[in-house]
Amino acid sequence: MEKPFDPTEQLVLKFGDIFTRQTTKDDMLTLWLPLERLKEVLFFCKNDLRPTYKFLYDLTAIDERPRKREPDYPSEQFTLVYHLYSYDGNQFLRFKIALKENALSAPSITSFWANANWYEREVYDMFGIRFEGHPHLTRILMPLTWEGHPLRKEHPARATEMGPFRLWDEKQDREQHALQFLPEDWGLQRHSEDSDFMFLNIGPQHPGTHGVIRLVLQLDGEDIVDIVPDIGFHHRGSEKMAERQSWHTYIPYTDRIDYLGGVNNNLAYLLSIEKLAGIEVPERVKVIRVMMCELFRIASHLVWYGTFAQDVGQLSPVFYMFTDRERVFDIVEAITGGRMHPNWFRIGGVAQDLPIGWEKLVKDFLNYFPKRLKEYDNLVMRNSLFKARTVGIGIFTTEEAIEWGVTGAGLRACGLEWDFRKKQPYSGYENFEFDIPTGENGDCYDRARVRVEEMRQSLRIIQQCMENMPEGSYKADHPLTTPPIKKHTMKDIETLITHFLGVSWGPVIPAGEAMVCTEATKGANSYYAISDGNTSPYRMRIRTPSFAHMQTVPYISKGYTVADLLSILGAMDYVLADIDR
Amino acid sequence: MNWWITKPGATATLAGPGSFEETVQQNIMLTSVQSLLGWGRKNSMWPFHFGLSCCFVEMATSMTPKYDVARFGAEVIRGTPREADVMIIAGTVFIKMAPIIKRLYEQMMEPRWVISMGSCANSGGMFDIYSVVQGVDKFMPVDVYVPGCPPRPDAFMEGLMLLANSVGKEQRPLSWVIGEQGVIKPAKISMKDQRYEKRQEMTSFRSPDEV
Repeated sequence: MEKPFDPTEQLVLKFGDIFTRQTTKDDMLTLWLPLERLKEVLFFCKNDLRPTYKFLYDLTAIDERPRKREPDYPSEQFTLVYHLYSYDGNQFLRFKIALKENALSAPSITSFWANANWYEREVYDMFGIRFEGHPHLTRILMPLTWEGHPLRKEHPARATEMGPFRLWDEKQDREQHALQFLPEDWGLQRHSEDSDFMFLNIGPQHPGTHGVIRLVLQLDGEDIVDIVPDIGFHHRGSEKMAERQSWHTYIPYTDRIDYLGGVNNNLAYLLSIEKLAGIEVPERVKVIRVMMCELFRIASHLVWYGTFAQDVGQLSPVFYMFTDRERVFDIVEAITGGRMHPNWFRIGGVAQDLPIGWEKLVKDFLNYFPKRLKEYDNLVMRNSLFKARTVGIGIFTTEEAIEWGVTGAGLRACGLEWDFRKKQPYSGYENFEFDIPTGENGDCYDRARVRVEEMRQSLRIIQQCMENMPEGSYKADHPLTTPPIKKHTMKDIETLITHFLGVSWGPVIPAGEAMVCTEATKGANSYYAISDGNTSPYRMRIRTPSFAHMQTVPYISKGYTVADLLSILGAMDYVLADIDR
Repeated sequence: MNWWITKPGATATLAGPGSFEETVQQNIMLTSVQSLLGWGRKNSMWPFHFGLSCCFVEMATSMTPKYDVARFGAEVIRGTPREADVMIIAGTVFIKMAPIIKRLYEQMMEPRWVISMGSCANSGGMFDIYSVVQGVDKFMPVDVYVPGCPPRPDAFMEGLMLLANSVGKEQRPLSWVIGEQGVIKPAKISMKDQRYEKRQEMTSFRSPDEV
């Protein structure tokens, strides 16, 4: 990778010396800027800076009040964090804005960045920071009846701190009433000039939504005029959870973010932590991790493949594909002992070495699966009814995809050859030969084609892993790895104490911030980890692809019919836990 | 019971060791209406198409060929609660979702049963967090608890069979004139206690270092 380009000079030239630079462990350019200049700086970055930062990757906040701060850390009580990404320059840029507790308000950037909408709502919901000029600033994840802002430090974390849960009849009625959809609240008309609109409620319990999400459709006959998605039914508070788990015991929670992606989540989390801790993992660990990630990528894509075919009316493919998924799980189970949530990666390595005889399992699968993929092409991809339901449906262009923050197969289906495994390689992906499949039309069919081809590429990667598995340790020789290294403990008291603390309290990760962007099964996924030198994270921000993807649904579904919406949702391949976390 | 196979083209007289008594036994069944209904309910438990999170994927896996829940008459997934017999709480019970779950449960017709699948639905599990109800039994009755995070499809099917067995023994008297009113369910059993002896016998385990 070439040396990253530094846009600070251009920014200083344009706006004067208003920026304060912060060094972070991930070497991402991090600039503090004053609140009143926020909007113009971001607008400049999006449109006039060279290279342009077209992609608002993430927007979040930090409650800084009880943080152990370095004296030169220029924060007030709250901090807003904007992550921008430049496709031209292949680099990230992080802006931070300090907010005072008595003036929790910032200008909204929704006027020039479409996908800021949900992110700003989420920050409002979680921290109570208001965004002036936002078109509809309401809670997004928590129920409308909720009191308090969960990611503030004073909000209780545990359900057991909040008293036993009761659902008496009046409460039931009140909650149901709060769910009542009023078109006027969202600025939607009930009539057009020549017709009355119908409002159709899909979900939160509906077989076509793949989980608990609610979509309210504004319909003119069968045609979709607008959609209001209502999310948060699957909010498990994973970010708050990190603030009380140790760095090590948080790993199982990452498994359950994208619950079809298994160890891909572990990897995204651990890459950030290992950057913070300064751990270099051995080559063998890298290759084992890549192999497991690709196996899970296939398993996840198989679930998508089967359920998507089912969504558009094919009942049998899902039975074939789940059977093949079981074959992947046979390997996963032999290696890790688990199925969906193996929780198998560790800080600085993996839980144990590969078992004797793993090559045969992998080899058998590599021999078996390509034939099946070919069969599925005939069964699904070449099926004329399947094509009729997907070709030309849900089209968006590369520009629209970037504006709305679409990553993963959705972006590649537009024709942009972009895969973070290739563009910003991590865990040794630079050593593997594989192609980035792309589409041309950006419709549901192309998204399906890209994913099917991705499974073939994953097989290629797994084959290379199998043939070139390096010798060596399955764990780095570093004091912060978990579980801590034991070999010296029985010889001297110092290492015994360290080991005891490492096991009971968990490792103390040095203070700092780091984020590593990975190509998860559904798109760009990353954990922005902040440590203040403690046994648990100070703040853990999880940027998930499905959140951004779900936000695009109203935009791309307008003008299509209700039946097309199911194709669009199916082709999107989202997981509810990946949206709501 | 004795049984035999006739070869195609064989003459009508069968060479089996059957007797008149046996034939009658095989063709006439004496039972009460209650037991007959119980037997019918037991063998056709229609689940409600309802899922909350990760567990639902494992529940769906149990319907696919490797596990094939159709063997136990439970493959008819109903999209509406009004047609379903058993609701499987597969996944985390979120506070935002709880009123909806309760509403769906209330929409199911009697007789109805609930399986709580996975640690989250059983007790909140690893998610002792502000947005999660600590167990679905906080606001509705549960018949069977299946442990696991998520439970394997086999475990889910075992839960389903335990429920089926209990459903077969359930009594629903017609009127207080005849007997007690209400539904008389068999006592819940603890599989943990039942398997104690067997668990204690397990002393040698396969090494994880080999496939």
